[in-house]
Order: sequence, then structure tokens, then C-alpha cells
Amino acid sequence: MDMEHQSVGCTGGAESVLGIQPNSSITIAYHPLFGPHNDLSLLEIDEKLIPDILQQRVTIRGQPDEDAVLCTQSKTYAVKFVGTSNSVFLIPPSDKAMQECNEKDDKSIPVASVIKVAPGSIELVEVAPKIDKLKILLSQNPFSFDDASNMDISDEREKMNTGLYKWDDLVDKVQASNEELRSGLRALSAVEIDGYWRILDDKYMDMILNMLLHDAILNDWSLNALNEDEVLGALETDGFPRNIAMHCFQVYGSKVQVRVGGSCVWRLEERCICVHFAREILKRGKMKMETFMAEWIRKVPDGMHASFDMLEGEVLTEKLGIETLVYYFSVSSLPSTPAERFSILFRERPKWEWKDLQPYVRDLRVPGLSAEALLLKYTRRSQPTVDAEPVFSAR
Amino acid sequence: MQIHVKCGCGEGNCPEWAIVELQGTVEAQPSFQNSLQNLQIGILCRQSQENYTFSVGYHELTGAKVTLKKPMLVLKKIKLQNEEEMGERDINSLRVELDVIGIIRHKILFKTRPKALISKPQPAIKEKVTRQVP
Repeated sequence: MDMEHQSVGCTGGAESVLGIQPNSSITIAYHPLFGPHNDLSLLEIDEKLIPDILQQRVTIRGQPDEDAVLCTQSKTYAVKFVGTSNSVFLIPPSDKAMQECNEKDDKSIPVASVIKVAPGSIELVEVAPKIDKLKILLSQNPFSFDDASNMDISDEREKMNTGLYKWDDLVDKVQASNEELRSGLRALSAVEIDGYWRILDDKYMDMILNMLLHDAILNDWSLNALNEDEVLGALETDGFPRNIAMHCFQVYGSKVQVRVGGSCVWRLEERCICVHFAREILKRGKMKMETFMAEWIRKVPDGMHASFDMLEGEVLTEKLGIETLVYYFSVSSLPSTPAERFSILFRERPKWEWKDLQPYVRDLRVPGLSAEALLLKYTRRSQPTVDAEPVFSAR
Repeated sequence: MQIHVKCGCGEGNCPEWAIVELQGTVEAQPSFQNSLQNLQIGILCRQSQENYTFSVGYHELTGAKVTLKKPMLVLKKIKLQNEEEMGERDINSLRVELDVIGIIRHKILFKTRPKALISKPQPAIKEKVTRQVP
């Protein structure tokens, strides 16, 4: 192959290659700085993501031992390098400083310079965020009564700062977009306390809720119309920090009215409260249905009605002779990746009817896979007779 | 850790880069293999509206300009050396940023096998190429 050092010609770049006119030519040469340039890479990207990139809202996240993901504000993408056996000559735009055309030398044709031969490009595939890690991180050091009583003593707090994460720490450690991370924090009922994102210890949550219900009885407050200022004030006197008492409202209640002058009115949500007490009772383990129901109905606050269908996705039942046993099995404690989720579900119970299974799989999201496709992929559906309910088992 | 993807060129102003792509590899004569810089690879010629040829040595490739289905961004890895951090921690704390320095929307793609040019190319290559037009 005959190649000569190019000494003449005006230095063109990408624009000369792309804008070449019919019946004209351009010399392609290696750039004076041609080399492997491992710091340069190509990222194939959907047109709709370009504004995100240009507005600098995109980051690559992951620990050194994890496969990197690219996050926009709302979505997470797996990053895959795809190699090519073609020769991909990469031609940058001409460097204005170097572009010195010799106007007199008409005969010379322009030269475009190849800076690098690209070995391939990076492609993006939308994936579900790896949000389960958030729960693992926040479970290391849940906010408990000890934290609350030490809140004012800064020395004590310094010692307890292990396993505490600020927003920036979470962004560094969890492979999820900002929106996905925020919704993950909401799903865990996490709260920001002194800059750290915490989940509240079950016992502490139970204690504060019981105190609130107790105060309501004492003060003759309606659980459907709780005055925010009054309740937070009362809880504060009981030793519960205001921001955490507020968090209790957000977890167990909903705002019904914003009053002029600032104070809000909240209603406690029957389902949230009832599920809370069911969970507290079932912490002791499996129990007979009748025993459970009797205790549960007794425990929920006056005016609230516990009904078994509230416990969809929270408890399972099993038959033992003529008895029905009930036990705690919450969808919130299961992994969010389908393979792991189904594996645990089928270990728990080899065969599932749809009405039982549905509450445990309806929250699964995999980009590009519908709910039906998920079931098809991870379960075997059988129907003993034509009019029987379909049964799902492991594949 | 987090790597920010930055773009200094501002919206709509990202400089466009070009790709010339062909099957297989271009090999330089052994004597040039370690000093490819400035070496001419070949002549790209737009024969007509759609037809492009790329003559490399005695070979001629025929191809076309194609618009990429999805654009590609040219990223440059920038190492941010924070001296305070470097002192305290190990190499893992070396912070990195990715800078978007260009966008690629088109490439000139040669996907055919090369056709041998029978006559020995003359120094004025442009003339040679035009002679090949049937």
C-alpha cells in the first residue's frame, strides 16, 4: 500500500468530509496527533436524551466493583461497550488555529485528519434502578429512641454517625436516577434528619403512633381532623422531636386541609393504621386466624374498622388441618429484581393462585417487559380444568 | 461514585465530528507502522449525489453517506486532580469527569469489498479517480 507523508493541502476537518460537494475529493490522512487516545470514547444516545446531556443533568454512577450505569434525572441505563471489527476513522472538526489554507495553491485538495480509530462505541439500555441497595444502606442504622434522646448532645451523635448517609452519599452509592432514588426513599418511609436520610426503627414508630393515638383520646381529638400544631406540640412534650412527629403524619395520614394562618389538618388513614397493628401482632409469629382477628380488631383505634382484605400483600395464610394460620409476609421486604422476587415467592409457596400472587408482583417494573411478559418469563401457568382458577408455579 | 457528564459547548453548538468507516483494517507499510502521524490514508471522493468512493493505495471502495439511527457523542475523559484529596486518600479518589466534545450524526460508510484498481495510480490521484467513473 502506497502512503506518502502529506505535506501540502489546507487542513479541513469533519465539516469538509460531511460537506464535500459532488465531483470533488478530499484527502484522508492520519492526524499529526493520531494515536490510541483512550480518553476519547463514543456514546450512542437516543436523540431525546441529548437535551439532558447538554444541560448537564446526566451522570454515570456505580462503585468500582459494579457495572456502571448512566442516570438521567428520571431513568437509569445500563452502559455496554459494543466493539466493532470495522475501521472507524474518527475525524474531529478542523482546529481553527491550525486551519491555514494556502490560498495560492489551488491544486492542493483539502485534507481531513483522523485522530483515532474507534474500537467501538458505548450503548445504553434502559434498566430498572438497583434500588434494593438503598434499603440495605438505610437499615444499617435506623433512627431509634436512643437517637432521639441524644439529639442535642453532639459528641454522642458523632460516634453514632456510622451507617448514616446524606443525599450525596446515597447518590454515590446507589445506582438509580435522582427521581428513582427519591421514590425509593418515599417507599421506605425514610426521613431526612439532620441532613441524613434515615428509616425509623419499628419500635420507635410504634411508640410514636401509640402516643399520638393516646393523646387523641386524652384530648378528644377526631382521628379524621387532627390539628397539626396541636398534635406536634403534644408529641413534643412527650419527647418526640417535631420533624419526626411530622414524619409520622406523612406515613400514617394525609393532609385534608390547609388552614389560612399555616396550621394544617390531617386525617389518619384507616388502612395504614390497621396494617401497622396487624404487623405488630404478627411479629410474634404464625397464629390462628381467629386469635389474630380478635386481637387485631381489639387493637385498632375506635372508629376504625380492621378488615382482612387490607392485608393484601402483607400477610399470607395457610391451612393446617381445619385451622387457618396467618403470618406476616410483606411485599415491602422482598427484592425488586424479578428473578430474586420470584425465587423467594416460589420458595415460600410452590403454587400460587392469581389473587394471592398479584399483590406480590404488581409493583415489579422492568423496562421493555410488560406484566404479562414477566409472568411468562418467570412462572408456569397451569389450569387443571377449563373453569378452574389458573395456578402459577416456578419455571 | 459519580462521574458527571459535562458539556461545555452549549445547547445546539456541539461541534459535529465525522466518521469514515470501512470493513477490515487499513495497514500501512511496515516502515510506517510506528509513525502513522500525518500519513495519507486515501482519497475520499464524492462521485455524484449519493456515490462516494474511497481510494486507498490500489484499492477502491464504494459507499454512501448515512445518517446514524441514533447520534453518537464524543466523550473525553478528564481527570480532575484534587491535591487535598490526593494527599489523604489513594488513587481511588481520583475524580473523573466526562466532557462532551462533539456529536456525530453522519458517517461515510463503505461496506463493500475493495475493488482493485488495475492501473498504477499516478501522483495526481484526483485524476485517477475520475477516470474510474464508467
